[in-house]
Amino acid sequence: MTLLIERVGLTTVQDHGRSGWAHLGVSHSGAADRTSFQLANRLVGNPPQAAVLETAGGLAVRATADTFVVLTGSECDAELDDRVIPHCQPTVMRTGSLLRVSNVRRGVFTYLGVAGGIQGPALLGSRSHDTLGNIVPLPLIAGGELRIGTTYGNPLGVDAPMMPRDTDRVGITTGPHGDILHLDDRERILHHVWTVSAEPNRVGVRLVGPTLQHQFTDDMHSFPLVRGAVQLTPANELVVMVADHPTTGGYPVVGVVPPSDVDRLAQARIGARVTWEWKSI
Amino acid sequence: MLDCLASGQSARAREMILHASAIANVAVTDVVVGARSVVVIHGAADGESIRDILRDVSFQEQLSYPSDSREVTEIAVRYDGDDLDSVAKQCGLTTGEVVALHTAADFVVEFCGFAPGFAYLTGLPAALVLPRRTTPRARVSAGSVAIAAHYSAVYPRESPGGWHLLGTTTHELWDINRRPPATLQPGMRVRFVELA
Repeated sequence: MTLLIERVGLTTVQDHGRSGWAHLGVSHSGAADRTSFQLANRLVGNPPQAAVLETAGGLAVRATADTFVVLTGSECDAELDDRVIPHCQPTVMRTGSLLRVSNVRRGVFTYLGVAGGIQGPALLGSRSHDTLGNIVPLPLIAGGELRIGTTYGNPLGVDAPMMPRDTDRVGITTGPHGDILHLDDRERILHHVWTVSAEPNRVGVRLVGPTLQHQFTDDMHSFPLVRGAVQLTPANELVVMVADHPTTGGYPVVGVVPPSDVDRLAQARIGARVTWEWKSI
Repeated sequence: MLDCLASGQSARAREMILHASAIANVAVTDVVVGARSVVVIHGAADGESIRDILRDVSFQEQLSYPSDSREVTEIAVRYDGDDLDSVAKQCGLTTGEVVALHTAADFVVEFCGFAPGFAYLTGLPAALVLPRRTTPRARVSAGSVAIAAHYSAVYPRESPGGWHLLGTTTHELWDINRRPPATLQPGMRVRFVELA
């Protein structure tokens, strides 16, 4: 079967991402919120790495055969023809029916999992759209279509409680350049509320907070970056690397956010308030 | 993470880490190469094995193997860049002297970043070291040969960019369907040759 794309909106194809090419400047990419991505695949009986649609809204797709679909991640308005469909519950999508996802709220990305997974050619081992590196294995265009894989039987269904996934407390461990922080800076980071200051994107979550005392050196060597690395910029912002982050960067990495907390932070909207919780390794 | 490597050692460290982890049967997701360090991305259960491997690798003398034992990749350049005149002026040189210095230099790919296939080449003569342009260009075309700070580079694809453009090459630096997709990889030696 195929999914006919009627409206793309702010949508990309995402899977588990590409590894093994970071030394050539290729980011890992993949779903921004891995927890929600994996849940979508589990709920429709897919292998954990199957490709899904990651949307920040404005998506409309039509099925050419009966299939199971599920929505996870950020809350949204989802209508299958004229019927509202629930979050995190596998739903039958009948041949010819239209699924619309809009008004993504409280988070940034909603995941549409389709039983059988999105098929099609991969680039460097992944079907993920890397928005920074501009690697687009499966470009989405209105009027285009996506091939869906074969499934065997119905999804078994899993117990998937809708956990509250607040971004108000996020863990952080000391980063490789944590020692550039002034003695009082760690306390300032921990005892102030930080605010997400940039529009949602798949590259980095930018936060503003208190003024820090650290001294910037300008002879910093470009340093390898990983998902969750927290860079401190000369403008006194903390930038947390998410899916499509650059592979190297010139600012000190003062902290690292644990993977599951990166999932929650990747869903933080502009204006969201974050308190850091220092964790020892 | 392995730190405090000399320039050009990160690439060798990456090879040795991949080799050692294959022998030890430890899965490594990625080894990210920086200017003076490498970072290993691995599964949560393998932290201790990876730390052992990194400790071994950091003691290996091969890390400092002579860089001139490797083949040199030559990149043919037409020195017609939009910033050639301003670079010459800022460095107090003629454009001919800028080209002579750039083509005489022995470059090594220290690391990649900024964009897929974008290689940071060390070995730029001190006389050509300039800060990046104060106003970056919104569009730099693929194949632009440029310099900034202590580095030279070739833009693998069209992108925004703040480096000084010296010239252009038709050498294809990035082809996603090729293995490896990038022409310039960490550790490689590079020379620029002037096209007549």
